[in-house]
Amino acid sequence: MNTITEQIADFLKEYPPFNNLTFQELSDISNNIRVLNLEKHAVLFQNNDPLHDSFYVVASGVINLTKIADAEETIINKCHEGDIFGLRPFFAKNNYMMTAKAREESIIYAIPIAVFRPFVANNSDVLNFLLENFAVNSRHTKDNVSTGSKSTSDNDFYIDQQSDMQYLQSLTYNNSPLKTEAHHIIRDVAILMTDSMVDNIVICENDQPIGIVTNSDLSSKIATGRYPITATIDKIMSSPVVTVIENVSLAEAQLLMLKNNVTHLCVTKDGTAKSAIKGIISEHDLIVAQASNPGVLIKEIKRSQLPKDLKQIRDRLSDLIQNSIQKNIPISHISNIASEINLAIIKRAVELSILDLGSPPARFAWLSIGSQGRKEQLLLTDQDSILIFEDVTPEKYRDVKDYFLRLAKRTTAVLEKVGYELCPNGHMASNMLWCKSLTDWTKQYNSWMNTPGENSNDLSSIFFDYEIVFGEPKIEEAIENVIFKNATNNTLFFDFLGNDALRKNAPLSFFKKFILEEEGPHKTKFDIKTRALMPLIDAARLLILNSNIKGIQNTYLRFKQLAIADSKNAEIYLSCAEAFLTLSKFRTIEGLKNDDSGQYINIKDMSKTDKEKLKNALLPMKDLEELIKSKFQLTQFS
Amino acid sequence: MLDWIKNISKEHPEFWKDYLSKFENKPDKFIVLSTETSGLNPDKDVILSLGAFAVIDDGIEIKDNFESLLLQYKFLKDNGLSNEFIIESKMAKMEEHDAIEAFIKYIGNAVLVGHHINFDIEMLNSALERLDCGRLKNEALDVDMMYRKLTDINDKQFSLDELCDIYKIPKSDHNSSSEEAYKIALLFLKLKSRLGIK
Repeated sequence: MNTITEQIADFLKEYPPFNNLTFQELSDISNNIRVLNLEKHAVLFQNNDPLHDSFYVVASGVINLTKIADAEETIINKCHEGDIFGLRPFFAKNNYMMTAKAREESIIYAIPIAVFRPFVANNSDVLNFLLENFAVNSRHTKDNVSTGSKSTSDNDFYIDQQSDMQYLQSLTYNNSPLKTEAHHIIRDVAILMTDSMVDNIVICENDQPIGIVTNSDLSSKIATGRYPITATIDKIMSSPVVTVIENVSLAEAQLLMLKNNVTHLCVTKDGTAKSAIKGIISEHDLIVAQASNPGVLIKEIKRSQLPKDLKQIRDRLSDLIQNSIQKNIPISHISNIASEINLAIIKRAVELSILDLGSPPARFAWLSIGSQGRKEQLLLTDQDSILIFEDVTPEKYRDVKDYFLRLAKRTTAVLEKVGYELCPNGHMASNMLWCKSLTDWTKQYNSWMNTPGENSNDLSSIFFDYEIVFGEPKIEEAIENVIFKNATNNTLFFDFLGNDALRKNAPLSFFKKFILEEEGPHKTKFDIKTRALMPLIDAARLLILNSNIKGIQNTYLRFKQLAIADSKNAEIYLSCAEAFLTLSKFRTIEGLKNDDSGQYINIKDMSKTDKEKLKNALLPMKDLEELIKSKFQLTQFS
Repeated sequence: MLDWIKNISKEHPEFWKDYLSKFENKPDKFIVLSTETSGLNPDKDVILSLGAFAVIDDGIEIKDNFESLLLQYKFLKDNGLSNEFIIESKMAKMEEHDAIEAFIKYIGNAVLVGHHINFDIEMLNSALERLDCGRLKNEALDVDMMYRKLTDINDKQFSLDELCDIYKIPKSDHNSSSEEAYKIALLFLKLKSRLGIK
């Protein structure tokens, strides 16, 4: 056997579906591979090209799969090392429906269909994998992409994840379908269907499906006069029924319908026609399931007119988050999507208020601060926001401020109805203090940063995490410049933040035991927010301000960026980034379980492995603390 | 020194005549090859292994490969070298004359591609001479020359490792001639498309 053949087989065996094959089989496949090199932007195949005789595996580099719709090229998927694509020749005869283009210089393996087909036929795992992959890569996810492009961070995985998410969505379907038996008269059955207001009925024998009748059977076989309405139902039923197993995924169901050219699937106990009927999946169920994908949610937000519509959408987001966590989709992707949707909701709330009040008298910016500003809001937490409006002449000032205060009050009220609680500390734009002109805000930041501690009761670190939701981006830029200008060489300010970051109580005792709440309503619970997450968030903010890195507001990304900027301590930063994700996940799960903010975790209920995981996630904090202590001389305030 | 006169009187082996007759047609593929040799002197040193892949239409055809160790017992014994690596290797093994004959049949009239290919060709020519054959007639391309042509650098040579670094081709620790040939083939694909060679 050739050395290179062996190396390619070694590579393939790491990835599905090849991991289902033996090494000998893989060597045979590898031996028939063609290795191609694609320069950046080179096109492998494009929409409407005749099918190739091979499908492809990415050996290195990234391949974009795109579709052209409405004269606009949109990315359906990005294929990374080990991903397969170009599966159309397996399942269809018509030309390619998408374009495969190298995003960067890539090496790909072309595996001849003729060589691979026997393995597909003999191995159902391989077949299923290919089917799923084909379904995911074929779907057009235009909406998702347009939301994806707004997020500035790790776009690479964003789109993949979204299609994953969509694919993984489970289906809800009618699990008490209408049933009848073969000897019934068509007219009676039709009446039964009409009375029950459904468009399909399953014909069964001993509770096993033998056929199905849908509205289209009635129109094509009865209305045309081919059969009298007094005939028995078995004359016009479609048989056999396409059956599937319970818990079928959206993508699979969709694919089966396409493949068999049917509009209904019958769910049975073991997935064959020889077992009891469990339900019926109709095309309509698929459409409904698609409706809770992130892109559709955002579209709906843009259309909604009332707070209660927004609330409904926010509730669906919670379902989406819960599902995704159960499906083990990385928390960073989930929070990306969630924050986009939160952002859209807040934006819509501002818009609705403007519609009520009339157009604003000056340009302004509505900024989310705190967790939403950091794009880390997975649960319904309280709302934190500020409003900055452009400078106006003194005589107009009062009216303008008055307008914006009313706008902010209205918006926060709408958001409260949606389910975001008002901030208990009053950190909202509806507060006189946090709704003011650019000059006033500049003064505010100047005084916070140059004389910290003097008026420290109203300085909160959350004002340093902000994201524009609505309005004039230039205003956000102006504030950012003020902050970074003040931060340069401002030891006093960093001292203050540093002390603030380290003041939080340690999560673990000297003996590496969790420190639990000793009194109050949350006695014996672990305060994951203040003891674990806040120190990481504060430290990341402190360090990023200190390194003068603009535009990164997310704790996870901040640590990642710090690892690049300060490579000496990269290891500490990276472990903190990971720890932050783990901790957020714990908090989110706890929050979803109890329908609260997840601040307190019940340690006693956790499994041993989860406890270990949590403990391990707390360990990097010690290193981080030392790092901060050595970086800043924390003397003035300690 | 008037080598061709020597060769006129000699009868070439069958496979060589066959090889020569292939040049009536145009080459239809590239063969990327790499040799592992006992040293750098074509007259004294010998080829220890051969690895090659075919490149057709901008793709490496893995199946269309050649890989063999050459059993240079006499050479190794004369120079007091160990033959352990030959025994341990899982690669196909052949005597020099068999290997060269098989290789000549394999390459046919293809365009040869290598890294500093002139040396490989010299080594092959010496081996061919021992089999009473003429010199290789194939066209040859050198990836180093191609790279220097692409970048317009005339004053230095690039090692295979350097070229792999430039084009981010992963390097491996143990380099059999097959592995080298594969890397050269990848380099060749990259340079070929950049230089627009059909």
